[in-house]
Amino acid sequence: MKRVVSISLGSSKRDHQVQVELLGEQFEISRLGVNGDFEEAIGKLQQLDGQVDAIGLGGIDVYVYAGERRYAFKDGLKLIEAVKSTPVVDGSGLKNTLERETVAFLLQNIDIIKKGTRVLMVSAVDRFGMAEAFAAAECDVTYGDLIFTAGIPYPIKTLQELKEMAAKLLPEMTQLPFHMLYPVGEKQESRDEEKAQKFAPYYYDAEIIAGDFHFIKRYLPDKLNGQTIITNTTTAADVEFLRQNGAGRLVTTTPVFEGRSFGTNVIEGVLVALLGKPSSEITPEDYLDIIKKLDFQPKIIELDN
Amino acid sequence: MATHEEISASLQSFCEGYKKNSKLELMNRDWNRVIIIKASDIDSQHIMTLRNGELAVVQGVSDQNPDLVVTSDSETLADLFYGDITPTEPYMNGTLVIQGSEDDIVRLDFISLMIWGE
Repeated sequence: MKRVVSISLGSSKRDHQVQVELLGEQFEISRLGVNGDFEEAIGKLQQLDGQVDAIGLGGIDVYVYAGERRYAFKDGLKLIEAVKSTPVVDGSGLKNTLERETVAFLLQNIDIIKKGTRVLMVSAVDRFGMAEAFAAAECDVTYGDLIFTAGIPYPIKTLQELKEMAAKLLPEMTQLPFHMLYPVGEKQESRDEEKAQKFAPYYYDAEIIAGDFHFIKRYLPDKLNGQTIITNTTTAADVEFLRQNGAGRLVTTTPVFEGRSFGTNVIEGVLVALLGKPSSEITPEDYLDIIKKLDFQPKIIELDN
Repeated sequence: MATHEEISASLQSFCEGYKKNSKLELMNRDWNRVIIIKASDIDSQHIMTLRNGELAVVQGVSDQNPDLVVTSDSETLADLFYGDITPTEPYMNGTLVIQGSEDDIVRLDFISLMIWGE
């Protein structure tokens, strides 16, 4: 049995464990939240090091991308450095492949993405592959990185501007404590009422809302009008929450195990364990190849209200 | 140690940098704030005001309740507002103390990086 554990800075209320068989291998996959306690996360990572087949880091990005440039969060690197022997991943390697493929799958198979479709990406630097795929499909994309990360009501409308902003801001912003830029711990369980109201027009204007689920949930306005949500890390309760709040359809980019779409860090951990080589040597082609063998496809849930 | 006049000049330079970047006025039109800039080692205080996206700085003590209070030694303040250093490192090592909400601190950092960033 292979064991993959995700240590998440998020709430422990979302902890989960499943057993699945993938390509003939039995896997035990679990997620452990530390409620935003950074030191507890480091302690758990040190305990697991050498004891499991792969470790995922959840509730935090280590690496984000804009074009060819990669930026590393100081807090994320501290977590990675706590692990000496077990492969440790944050999901960013897989996002670039899997989420690009998700947009391609939706383009080919269902009629929800077309030229001019209004897409709100709540944050794009953590999903640059998806951002590029929407741009390539000639969607009308709003990249909400400044809006939802820094509270600045400035929609970025092109990948070029996103790259320029990233080059100005990210070398320094990534040195700040991660919790100043992203909801961790208990903040993942509550809505930011003031910003949800202030930024609601961006949600209402979009036909598709895509990106990190914790951002989507924290700033979700009172009642959507049938938008498609493209995300992952959703529980059965989250699906119900989206249904009650007027979302029309949910597309999850990662496979669903026992009603739960795990984060990309968990799935990347599984793929690393299956591939059996150091994560630094794994190429996007390796991921694409094994995703095809596993027949991972986006899951589409119609949320009829 | 920097002088009060040097801090004033650095803040003037910061204001000019802000005005040169046309996006900043647009980005900050919702962010009306009073920010006190205080040196810890010399007698020097300035009031930075953002209103409808426009930034202004005057010398002296504010009679309004500030939203943010930025305190550091005179040298760090002058370096910071001239763009010779970024706020992140002195903020993280405690040389630069900013009292206010985390959202406002991120926003001030953002403005500084938009003016002086790469």
